[in-house]
This record gives sequence, structure tokens and C-alpha cells, in this order.
Amino acid sequence: MLMRVLTPLAVFAALLAGWEAYCRLAGVSPLVLPPPSGVLRALVQNRAEIAPHAQATLSVAALGFSLSVAFAFLTSVVLQALPRAERALMPLFVASQTVPLVALAPLMILWFGFGLLPKVLLVVLVTFLPMLISLLSGYRQVPQAFVDLLQAMGAGRWTVFRRARLPSARPAFLAGLRISATYAIVATIFAEYAGARRGLGIYILAAKNNFRADLVLAAVVVSAGLTLALLALLHLAARLTARGPEGQAPDA
Amino acid sequence: MLEVQGLTIRADGRDLVRDLALRLPAQGITALIGPSGCGKTSVLKWLAGILPQGLGATGTLRLDGAPIAPPHRALSYQPQGDALFPWLTIAQNAALGLTVAGLPRRAAHARVAPLFAAFGLAGCEALYPAQLSGGMRQRAAFLRTMVQDSRLVLLDEPFSALDAVTRLRMQDWLRSRLQAAPRAVLLVTHDLHEATGLADRILVMAAGPGRIRAEIPVPIPQDQRSEAALAPLRETLKTLLLEDPPR
Repeated sequence: MLMRVLTPLAVFAALLAGWEAYCRLAGVSPLVLPPPSGVLRALVQNRAEIAPHAQATLSVAALGFSLSVAFAFLTSVVLQALPRAERALMPLFVASQTVPLVALAPLMILWFGFGLLPKVLLVVLVTFLPMLISLLSGYRQVPQAFVDLLQAMGAGRWTVFRRARLPSARPAFLAGLRISATYAIVATIFAEYAGARRGLGIYILAAKNNFRADLVLAAVVVSAGLTLALLALLHLAARLTARGPEGQAPDA
Repeated sequence: MLEVQGLTIRADGRDLVRDLALRLPAQGITALIGPSGCGKTSVLKWLAGILPQGLGATGTLRLDGAPIAPPHRALSYQPQGDALFPWLTIAQNAALGLTVAGLPRRAAHARVAPLFAAFGLAGCEALYPAQLSGGMRQRAAFLRTMVQDSRLVLLDEPFSALDAVTRLRMQDWLRSRLQAAPRAVLLVTHDLHEATGLADRILVMAAGPGRIRAEIPVPIPQDQRSEAALAPLRETLKTLLLEDPPR
């Protein structure tokens, strides 16, 4: 367990040390590539300025992500009951993922203005499909014996879904949730980059226009931190809701 | 008495089982054996009301003379393996049939609770399936089946996932369990030792299309079923099965 934490930490520390050494020894201008210590200094010095932007990004991402989870779940419940609808709609959902964010984000701003709506929509659009697909494939992973057993007991389709398919989909759903969570912050930043009053996206844009690479990277550090925090929160929620013996939780 | 008449099961335009008839007395174990592909599991699934999609069936099922349609409460089915839900405790698994039938959770658990000791599962109520041994899991599956109070129990190779020693122990255990609470059992198995050791009557199926080829009573009392006593019977069964030309 300790090794599982220590190994990636050691790799990360080595990368930072290499980066720092390169900046110092090769004499790279901090305007082009600031060393990690410079990024950290910029982050600490500008924390009061960055905090409200981070907060704005986090609220949009959390709202969009929550809506997306709810929407993906409801859609999956409807689609698993109507296989024909699933076949009809799935190509459309997949096609929606092929629209480049670069094109979509400005269009959203154009259509829905600089408020909350376009950003939340973009987050939903980006995070919805991984969750939907993981749920639908999770429902199919139910062992046939479980379905047979329930049907022989007289269970109808809804009971089979509720008692067997839904719990069987839990590990796949958690995997989809983790993938979507990592997209949520990035999608928000993209939306903000295309146009916003506040948020890490617009902060990065402003810092870039002022040739402050250190502040751009400081914002990246914050964005990574937010994503990690979101993942940690999901992990905790999965642990708290796990049903099964300790350490053998279905999602372990 | 359960009676099947004129059962034909079709798949892809051909008869998997044709015009099969069988009767199950109110008590005792009837084993259904046959070469693989003869349709014995399909017969069992038809009785349980869970014939897979793509298979069509015609035939009548009567319970004490009255026609019934599967799935029916008088018949309970136990799939291959234990099919315990890993996310439910043993008590919740055991009560599954009752709660699915609409009994409130509390009442279902009250019905199941006194049976744990008799099934060798005392103290396991709050554990999860992954925390039990193979034999204990199988007993939990039997508890789930038996507590449904059906008159007929359909078992699909119940011991096939167990190691040899556990299998022998579980067969002894099932025999004594059925002596304590008699009911009719239809046991699908491919294991001749299991069939001759447990059953009161053996139905031998032939393939292509599936039908009952022979009905062989096992007249030896349970306590006298030694290897030597059963050997002639097993030879007869083996001959019958080998006579069936491979398809």
C-alpha cells in the first residue's frame, strides 16, 4: 500500500528535480520555461488572485459533472429498457463526442452568452458519454445465472434491473465516473478560455497574454489539484457506499 | 405430482427436445442425465420459466392434475454454481426469493433466520459470499432455494463447481436435509456417481432430438449405497449412455 503511494511520488519528484536542474544549468529564460520553484513562488504570491478563479472553475465543473451523472444515469435506465432506442441514439451520442471542443466552446458562448449555461453544457457534453457507456456495458455484465434466478422467482424486468443489473454495473460505473471526472475540470477550463468573466481558463488566457508562463503553470497546478481532489472525493464516496467485505469491495 | 406432457423445444427450426413426457412424484430425488446437448438443461429451464430467448417451446405442465404455467411458485430453481449476489449478505441472499415474491424484508429475514443453524451457517448471516468457503456458499444457495417452500426443487448441476471432497460432503448433507424436510427434487447432472448416490429414480435422456430413453429406479436404500452396491447400476447407465450414437 505504502509502495503504491511512494512509487508515483518518487517518479514525480525526480521529474521536478530534472526540470529544476535543466532550468538552472542550461540558463533557460524563466519567461519561456520557469523552474518548478518559480512556479511555486508565483502560485504562493498570487494565491489570493488565483483562488476566486479556481473557485469559479470548481463550481462550474461540479455543477456540470453532477448534472451529467444524473442525466447519464436516467438515460441509461431508459435505454437499457428500450434496446431499439439505444441502437437509434447511440451513434448520435458518439458523434457528439467527435465535435472538437475548440469549435464547440466558442459556439456555446455565441449561443448562450457568457453566463453559467454554456460552460455547464460543455461539461455535460464532454463527461456524459463515458458514464453512459460504462453504465450500459455494466448492466450487460450481470451473470446470466443471476437473471435466471430472479426470473424463476417470478421477478419482472424492473426487478431484475433493480436487484441484479444495477448492482452489477457498479464497478463499470465507478470507472466511467473516474474518467469523466478527469474531463470535467479540463472541459470547464476550455469553456472559460473561450469566454468567461472568471475562472482558471480566463486566468490562463490573461497570464499568457502578459507573457507570464509561471502564472500559466501555476494555474495548471491548481487545475491538476482540483482534478485530484475530485477523484479523491469519488474514491471516498465509493468506499463509503461499498457493500461487501472490507478490501473486497466490488470496486476495489 | 408434477406432470410434463408433449414438451417440444425448438431452436433455429430444429427440435432440441421432442414430445418429452415425465412425471415427478411428490417426494424424492429424480436425476435427469444424458449426453451433453441432449437438452436436459433446457427441460429444466422450461420448467423454471427461463428458457433463453430464441428457444420456443410447446407442452403442458400439470401440478396435481391442474395446468400451470412456469415460472410458478410451486417450483423453485437453483442455477449452476451458487449464484449468490456478491453485494448482498448471506441473510439477504437467503431471503431473496421471499423478498422478490413481495414479502417485506423484515418478515423475510424472520423466516430465514431460524434455518441458518440447520444449514450449517450459524453466525454467517451478516457475512458476504466472498467470505465463505465453496461448501458454505452452496449451502447458502440451498437455503435460498429451500426457504421458498416450493413443492418441487429444480437443481442444475448444483455441485459441479465444488472440489471432490466438498462435493461428497454436500451430497451427504443434501440427502439428510431432504430427509428432514422432504420434497420433490429434479436434479440435472452429468455425474453418474452423483446420480446413483443421490437419486431415487434416474431418467436417462437421449439426444437428437432430446427425449426420455429410460426410467431406472434406484431400489437400494440410501444407507446401503456403497460403491460395490451401486456399480452394476452405473454399468447399466453407462451402457445406455454409450449406446446413444454421437451426433
